[in-house]
Amino acid sequence: MDETLGGVRVGTDLVSVGQVAESVARFGDRYVDRIYTAHEISCCRGTPAVVAAGLAARFAAKEATVKVLRSVGHQPDWRSIEVRREPAGWCRLSLSGEAARMAEEQGISELAVSLTHEGPMAAAVVVAVCAGDEE
Amino acid sequence: MEEEIRQILAEHGRLPLEMDELDNDTDLYEAGMTSHASVNVMLALEDAFDFEFPESMLRKSTFESVTAIQAALISLVGAPVE
Repeated sequence: MDETLGGVRVGTDLVSVGQVAESVARFGDRYVDRIYTAHEISCCRGTPAVVAAGLAARFAAKEATVKVLRSVGHQPDWRSIEVRREPAGWCRLSLSGEAARMAEEQGISELAVSLTHEGPMAAAVVVAVCAGDEE
Repeated sequence: MEEEIRQILAEHGRLPLEMDELDNDTDLYEAGMTSHASVNVMLALEDAFDFEFPESMLRKSTFESVTAIQAALISLVGAPVE
């Protein structure tokens, strides 16, 4: 889902915590290191279930960001979209590399993210302020 | 190679259809493969064919169909020996 209202874009995504847990169990560090940054991995510690929930929420945030970037065909490196957790507990997005270039091309000046997980599912919502969408 | 690709899709693609319902040119994303499932497909392909996808090929189009995956594999690891 991706809606544009004036200069605002919204992207959202839903990820199965169980499927992320299966990926970690099946592919281990190859899965984790191809998708998540060192900071994101450091934020997801604890039991396997807690780790999977945190990673699933972050994957949802990355996919929601891809939606507001409106990439056509091309998939930026997952690690170029990073969820940064601030000491106070809230999260923000940090883009680098190709994701940052795509955001600049789209005129996106600000991004905000919210993560959640409950039971078997994790979700994220990303809001982008996009100068390019202003009429 | 096509059979191995189909086995990997059956195991990791989480498609809501049977493999014999899947044409080689069926769009896997339109058929229900999620981005997360495509990551698993990518990693399973790397395991099966002993290589690593370069970043330049990590595009949705690389994994959008059996035909597309086969073309990518041939470009990276070569055509299978008959």
